[in-house]
Amino acid sequence: MVSYSALILILVAVAVLTLLGVDSAVFGQETTQRYLSARIEIWALFYRLMVVAFVIGAVVMGTMTYVVWRFRESHPKNRADITPAAGGAHH
Amino acid sequence: MVLEVRKPRPLWEILFSTHHTDIGLLYIIFSITLFFLGGALAISIRTELFLPGAQLFDDSNTFHRVFTVHGTTMLFLWVIPFAAGIGNYLIPIMVRYKDMAWPKLNAVAFWMLPVGAALVWLGFADTGWTAYPPYSILRAPGPAAEMWIFGLKILGISSILGAINFVVTILRMKHPDLPMMKLPLFTWAILSTSLILLMSMPTFTAALIMLYTDRLGVSGFFNPAMGGDPIAYQHLFWFTFHPEVYVFVIPAIGVIYEIIPKFSRKPIFSYTSGITAFILLTIVSFASWAHHMFATGMSFSEKTVFMIGTLAAVPASAMHIFNWIATMWGGRIRFRAPIAFVVGGIILFFLAGAGGVVNSAMPLDFLTHDSYWVVGHMHLFLMGIITFAFVGFIFYLFPLITGRMYNERAAMVQFWLMFIGVSLVFITQHLLGLYGMPRRVFDYVPVEPLITMNQISTVGAYILLVAMGIFLFNLIKSAGWGKPANMEDPFGIQEKYYDYRRREPHH
Amino acid sequence: MGHGTLEWVYVGVVVAVLIYIGADAWNVERFLDDAPEEAEVVKVTGQQWFWTFEHEDGRRELGELHLVKDVPYRFEVTSLDVIHSFNTPDFATMIDAVPGRINSIWYVPDQAGEFLIQCREYCGFSHYQMRAKLFVEEPPGGAEQGAQVTNASATTTNDLIPPLGAAAVAS
Repeated sequence: MVSYSALILILVAVAVLTLLGVDSAVFGQETTQRYLSARIEIWALFYRLMVVAFVIGAVVMGTMTYVVWRFRESHPKNRADITPAAGGAHH
Repeated sequence: MVLEVRKPRPLWEILFSTHHTDIGLLYIIFSITLFFLGGALAISIRTELFLPGAQLFDDSNTFHRVFTVHGTTMLFLWVIPFAAGIGNYLIPIMVRYKDMAWPKLNAVAFWMLPVGAALVWLGFADTGWTAYPPYSILRAPGPAAEMWIFGLKILGISSILGAINFVVTILRMKHPDLPMMKLPLFTWAILSTSLILLMSMPTFTAALIMLYTDRLGVSGFFNPAMGGDPIAYQHLFWFTFHPEVYVFVIPAIGVIYEIIPKFSRKPIFSYTSGITAFILLTIVSFASWAHHMFATGMSFSEKTVFMIGTLAAVPASAMHIFNWIATMWGGRIRFRAPIAFVVGGIILFFLAGAGGVVNSAMPLDFLTHDSYWVVGHMHLFLMGIITFAFVGFIFYLFPLITGRMYNERAAMVQFWLMFIGVSLVFITQHLLGLYGMPRRVFDYVPVEPLITMNQISTVGAYILLVAMGIFLFNLIKSAGWGKPANMEDPFGIQEKYYDYRRREPHH
Repeated sequence: MGHGTLEWVYVGVVVAVLIYIGADAWNVERFLDDAPEEAEVVKVTGQQWFWTFEHEDGRRELGELHLVKDVPYRFEVTSLDVIHSFNTPDFATMIDAVPGRINSIWYVPDQAGEFLIQCREYCGFSHYQMRAKLFVEEPPGGAEQGAQVTNASATTTNDLIPPLGAAAVAS
C-alpha cells in the first residue's frame, strides 16, 4: 500500500503547487496590464511547458542512453555469461 | 513457409493462395512497395520547398495532388496493410491455429487493397487526405475526388474485413490450452487494433457516402448553402481518425514488445501492465477526437473535455515506455538491427508524444494547429516510432520470410541515416511551425529563418532517400543471395524464433 | 516485488505532470476565451483567395487591415465558400472561417508595425498566397510621433516578416 499513498501524496502536492503558482501568475498579469495579451500569455505558457518537456525529456533520454550503454552485451560487466531466463519465458 | 526467391513457387500459386503466410507475404510486399512510392512523393514535396517559389512543379495544383496522395498512401497503403501483413504471418502461429479463421475472407480483404490503391493513384485527388468539405464537395475537381472517395471506401471495407478476421481468430480459434493471459503482447496489440477499427471505421464509411452524395448535389449534409454543416464532417472524420492514430501505433507497440525481450534476453518487465495499457488506449482513443478541431470555433467547455480526453491517453503510452526501458534494464542486449531500430523509435516516440501534449494544451493549439508543427509532430509518430518499429520488424522477420539473413552492416548504416534524417526533417518542421509557416503550402514567404529551416528539412529528406536506397538494395540482394539463416535462432540470441515449418498451403 | 510499487509511482508522476499541464492550459484559456465587452468588432470574411475586413464604422478594407495599438478588437470571422483559417502568427491568434457560421476571436495589438495575416486551412489553388497585411498604428496623439516614424520606416519592406518566437516572448 506504499504505492497508493505515494501516488496520492504526489498528486496533492502538485495540485496545490499548481493552484498557487497559476493564481499568482494571473493576478500579476492583471495588475500590470489592462488587457491580457494572447500573444504574451500563449508564448509564456509555451515556454513553461517546454521547460517541463525538456526536463522530462532529459530524464528519459538519459535513462535510455544509460540502459543502452550499460546493458549492451559488450559492456565489460556483461561479459560474464548469465544464463538466459528459463526457456525464454515470454508470455 | 519459406519463400525461396531464386527457386520460387509459380507466381499464381502465391497470388491465388488463401494460406495466411502467403496473404501475409502479399500484404508485406504490397505495403513496402507503396511505402517507397509514397516516399518518392515526399521527396518531391521536400524538393519543391527547398527554395521559395516554384521549383519542381509548375503550379500549386500538382503539388496539392502530390501531398494528398502521399498522405493517403502512407496511412492506408503502408501502415495499415503492413500491420495486417505481420498479423497474418504471426497471429495464427501465436494462437496455435492452422490458419486465419476465414482464409477466403482474408484473401478478399487483401485483394481489395490494390483496387483501392489504383483508384487513389489514378485519380490523384487534390483534397488533402482529410478531404474537408465544402472544398471537397464544391471546388475539388472530379473525377479525382470521386475516385479518392471510392478508393478510401474500398480500403475501409478491406480493413474492416481484416479486423473481423483477426478478432475471430484470436478469440475463437486460439488453442484451448492457451489462456488469454498467456498470449504474446503482439496478439493483444492486434486484438486492440482490430477492435478499434471495428468500432471507428463505420463512421467514416458513412461520412464518405454523405460526401459522395453531396458531391452529386442530391444531398447537402455538409453544404452550408443547403443547410448542412461542414463541421459535422470533421466530427465524423475525426471520430474515425483519431482512434485510427492508435490503429497505426498499437501494432508498432506490439512489435516492440516482440523485439525488446528477445534481444535483451529477459522476460517482459510487466506483462499485465502491457495489457492494461493496451486496453486503456483502446478505450481512451475514442475520447479525444475533437482536439483536431479546437480552431473551428468550439466552446470553452468542449475544448476542456477534449483536452482532458487527450491527456488521458498519455499515461497508457507512458506505461509502455516504462515497460520497455524496464525490460532492457539489467538485460544483456545484443544490438542487431531490429533492436537498434526499436530503440531509435522509442526515442522519437517520446519526442512525438511531448509535442502532442503541447498540441492538446488548449491555447497552444492556436500556435501549432495547421502549421508545420503539426506536420512535424505527426510525422514523428508515423515515421519515427511506427516506421522505425516496422522496419526493425522487417529485419526481424526476414529469416522467417526468406530463409536468409539480411546484411547487418547495411542495416545499421540505414538505421543511423534514418535516425539522423528523421530528426533533421521533422524536428526542424516543429520550429517552422512556431515561425508561423502553414501546412500544405506550395510556397512560403522568402525570409531567412524559413528558407534555412526548409533547406535543413529537405537535406534530411535526402538523407532518408539514401537510407531507403540502402534498404531496398539490402532487401532485394539479401532475399536472393543472402547467407542462409539458422532458422532455429537466426540472431544467435539463444531465444526461440517463430515456427517456420508451417504447412504448405494447398487450400 | 518491486514491479507494482515502482510502476505506480511512475504513473503517479506522469499523471501529476499531466494535471499540471492541463490545469495551466485551462487556466490560460479561461482568461483568453472571453472578449472584453468594449472591444471593437471587425468583420472578417474569407473567400478564395483573399480577405475582406469591415470595421464597426462601416469602413471596408480588402487585403489590408488597419488597427490601432492597445485597442481590444473582436474579429467575427466567416467565409463565403470553403473553410479558411484567419491567422495572425505575430499575435498567436487563429480561428477557422467556416461558411455558414461566425466564429469570434479577440486580441489587443500591443506592438505597432506591419504584420502578416494568412490562411492556415487548405483551401485550394492559391491557398499558399492567401495573405493580407496587418498595419497596427500608434493611437493618434498618444505616442511620440518621432519614435513611431522611425519604427515604421525600419520595418517597411515588401515582405512581411513571420513571427520570431523568441522576440515575441522577450517583449
